[in-house]
Amino acid sequence: MSLRLVLALAVAVTPAALGAQTGNGSTRLAGRVPAAALPAIDSILAAAVAESLPTEPLVQKALEGSAKNIPADRLVNGVRRGYLQLRQARAIVSRAVPGQPPPEGHVAAVAAALARGLSGPVVERLLTVAPNEPPGPALHAAADLVAHHFDPDSAADLLVDAHNKGLRGVRLLDVAVAADHELQRPGGRTPSEALAHVRAMLPNVRPGRP
Amino acid sequence: MSPIDPRLQEALDGERDPGDLPADLREGYALLVAATQVLKAMPPVSVASRVMAEIRQNPARVQSDGPARRLFRWLGGGRAVTVRLRPVWTLALAAGLATVLLVPWSSGIPTPGVAQGIANFVGHFPGARSVEVVGSFNDWSRGVLHLNDDDHDGIWHADAVLPAGPHEYMFVVDGERWVSDPLADHYVDDGFGAGQQNSLVIVRPVSAQP
Repeated sequence: MSLRLVLALAVAVTPAALGAQTGNGSTRLAGRVPAAALPAIDSILAAAVAESLPTEPLVQKALEGSAKNIPADRLVNGVRRGYLQLRQARAIVSRAVPGQPPPEGHVAAVAAALARGLSGPVVERLLTVAPNEPPGPALHAAADLVAHHFDPDSAADLLVDAHNKGLRGVRLLDVAVAADHELQRPGGRTPSEALAHVRAMLPNVRPGRP
Repeated sequence: MSPIDPRLQEALDGERDPGDLPADLREGYALLVAATQVLKAMPPVSVASRVMAEIRQNPARVQSDGPARRLFRWLGGGRAVTVRLRPVWTLALAAGLATVLLVPWSSGIPTPGVAQGIANFVGHFPGARSVEVVGSFNDWSRGVLHLNDDDHDGIWHADAVLPAGPHEYMFVVDGERWVSDPLADHYVDDGFGAGQQNSLVIVRPVSAQP
């Protein structure tokens, strides 16, 4: 088992590490992306580079679509959709974290949050609370709450409170898990009751499983 | 045991006429002569002659045993085995066994770095011939991370050390069927317009795990 894990780790980590070193990543697409889609995807990647957007999410989307045998037109549309989300994400990050070039990690995390259905204003609010911290966990926690039918603004309120009570990083994911548990509890709580209950517990929410 | 009467011995040896013996000795003489005739009438019996007689009676059974049957009989039979070991080889053998038996279980899996964590992939796919995980952590490449169902109960699983953070993935069953992980904590639309959802795992860094 350990050997398999070592191999998995090696194979898993190497492509991402290599991808970060190979320009816009288009060389990784050769031979994997259908020839019919490659020129359009290359031009999207070039546009992303020109706008200082991260290209790794776009490369991943192209590889994903190719692995799934998505037809070329839909494959290109999927990559283009990702590109547009990255542009929207950069605009949000620029507003929330003014005065510095938008960090690529922030832009990619915000684009992923938009893909999960979070609205721009909720994302911007969460970014503003902790502009210098990696936003991924807070955004995923908010996306989890919204996916479980909590009100987006109320979910953001809870996460801001959690941040103000000292919870950071993946501990914010535990807040979302706790709220969902309260919602699922036998006897039934309304979403607002569940959020209020978790808010009262803060910062003592149960640590999540690895 | 009383010694035999010399007159009776002489009669048995043919040196005396049995008719000259007294009546009590004549009776004993008659019994001994009868016993001698009975013994002479019996065929000679020895272990060798009995074994050879048995073989002659069952020649077909002996010759019909095939190599497998003879091997099985040889393996099943008792054998005296003498093993001569030099201490240095004995110690090397013991060290090798200890390495094989103890190291994989004591360490379990490779120790993740501070920016890595362990992802557990589990799926219920009864009757599947193969299940693998394909995702952003391996550039959506096939044949990299296979799940196992060693006890054939339909529950497939694999562990992998991955970089901390979000990773989108799907299961590929029997090499052709793409399936979302029904046990995933999070999902995200794959963006290719068919409503298919990727599973999403957020790997916690080991430093953040309780």
